[in-house]
Amino acid sequence: MIPHAPILVIVLPLFGAFFTPVVGILARRYNLKNAVEIFAIAVMIAVFVMVASMAPTVWGGQFITYQLGGWSPPWGINLAVDGLAIQMALMIAGLSTLVIIYSAAYMKRDSGLSYFYALVLLVIAGMMGTVLTGDIFNFYVFLEIMSVGSYALVAFRRNSESIEAGLKYLFIGSLGTSLILLSIAMLYGIVGSLNIADLGAKLTLYGGAVPTGLVVSLALFVTGVMIKVAMVPFHVWLADAFTAAPTAISALLAGPAAVVGIYWVARLPYLPFGMPVGIILVSLGLLSMIIGVLMALTQRDFKRMLAYHVISQKGYMVLGIGLGTFGATLGAQGGLFHLLNHSTYKSMLFMCAGAVLFRTGSQKFDELGGLGKKMPITALTFLIGALAISGIPPLNGFASKYTIYLAGMQAGQPLITAIAVLVSALTFASFFKAFSSVFLGQEHERFKEIREVPKSMLFPMLAMAVLCIIIGLLPALGFNVAGPAQAAAENSAGYISHVIGGI
Amino acid sequence: MAEFIWDPIVATAAILLSSLIAYGLLCMGRKIVKPRLTPEKAKTYTCGEELKPEEMHADSEQFFSPIRRVLRPFYRYIQTAHTGVLSTYLLWVVVGFIIILVIILLTVR
Repeated sequence: MIPHAPILVIVLPLFGAFFTPVVGILARRYNLKNAVEIFAIAVMIAVFVMVASMAPTVWGGQFITYQLGGWSPPWGINLAVDGLAIQMALMIAGLSTLVIIYSAAYMKRDSGLSYFYALVLLVIAGMMGTVLTGDIFNFYVFLEIMSVGSYALVAFRRNSESIEAGLKYLFIGSLGTSLILLSIAMLYGIVGSLNIADLGAKLTLYGGAVPTGLVVSLALFVTGVMIKVAMVPFHVWLADAFTAAPTAISALLAGPAAVVGIYWVARLPYLPFGMPVGIILVSLGLLSMIIGVLMALTQRDFKRMLAYHVISQKGYMVLGIGLGTFGATLGAQGGLFHLLNHSTYKSMLFMCAGAVLFRTGSQKFDELGGLGKKMPITALTFLIGALAISGIPPLNGFASKYTIYLAGMQAGQPLITAIAVLVSALTFASFFKAFSSVFLGQEHERFKEIREVPKSMLFPMLAMAVLCIIIGLLPALGFNVAGPAQAAAENSAGYISHVIGGI
Repeated sequence: MAEFIWDPIVATAAILLSSLIAYGLLCMGRKIVKPRLTPEKAKTYTCGEELKPEEMHADSEQFFSPIRRVLRPFYRYIQTAHTGVLSTYLLWVVVGFIIILVIILLTVR
């Protein structure tokens, strides 16, 4: 492991964000082309290398705790890297790097790019901090850093649609973070600690006699997290935000940012509250799967359809994690494996939609058609993503969805498995329409001069498509990441003993 | 455990083999019945008018109209409830919070 890697993966993008406008000024003064883009990509590659250096240690069975300022927890702030955190950190670093590479060409026509990359790096720093921190108040702070950056990025193009979507996201997202802050305040008032491990240890002492204040605190926390995960009925910010944001940002929010919410959904049943929330997770997961896919079926807008599928697919993950709390050992593993797969192909699908928008200037199904011959690589990557999200074998989406179907059977709920299979069929129907409307059919007169997107946009799309195929053919690779993550999430006693030395 | 349940390599080989057989059948069919396409036959007409390629597009909202008909109550109430009005959405959050609170209270107590 690279020394100080846990803190460096947060500090690098954070300081990189503040330094990006300076790089922009220097680039303009000395006429350096693509300096800001190269700087942002370099920062992210460094972050990825540092996260990857921690992975063998964690997968080797060790638990990394990093004490800031040498103060031991629960008095000082610590970073905690277990199997769950490392999966999330790897996904954030890897996918964000690909999104920034994609942005280099995609955002070329926009102005204020140094601010754009500053905000992107700020969001990434927030995401990293959220999944690595061992302190619940720090979690709130990093969540706000991530959220405020996201609101600004959604409204980045400053047209009426994006400003409206940004404001909606701001109001609903701020309500979510405020509920989490209120929950943390109540938790601190009752328990007297902010360290997640210490909270977990002290809350187990209550046993069956849980004070009402703690129940309210948990309800506030669950609601706040569900707003961030965009589970029905807290999902309403997502469709507008993902449609109006620059597509590179839609890919960032659909892939890496989805990780943050699901990370806390996976922690929720065990730490810090350790109270039963399984029924809520299963109910919200099912509701989101069904409503998300049915809303997606009738959309006229490419990105809006993908946005509703984000809600539906996150429903699978929340359902899987919820089933895990009812004794289905494959549940949480399936949910976390699906997170890995979904983040990959959903980012790729948004990139494909962005590629179409980049060349045609439209994201309306009724205005598109016959692009398969003009943009064959985009069409192929979209097809791979569409088949993967629909759970068609042998792609990665099938492996994780199949695990969730089995979890339904394991939990003794075949009806849940039946609903999950039906939602997959409807997902396929929806993507059939999208592929047919955009890439098939006769070539339009106005698209005669259209050509494939630049190579720097194709590279991340192809890399993700290859990942979809490899993980589909060798699902053990995914299970080797999701398995330790599931074990770490469920091992709250291990987390507590590693951070503060036992209950 | 996953290896015992699902063997992706065998499944992929089976999918590729089936695709190859299907393609072979298609080629055989094309040999038996040869299409004789003339430019006029390839054109699309509606009420005597020739259509441009961009006009021959299935309406994306009505693409799955049978599903819409079957699930009419959903589309009538749930889809129309997505009004875009922020205050309504904030009300959903409050109602959702109350439901979560009640469920947790019932589960814990």
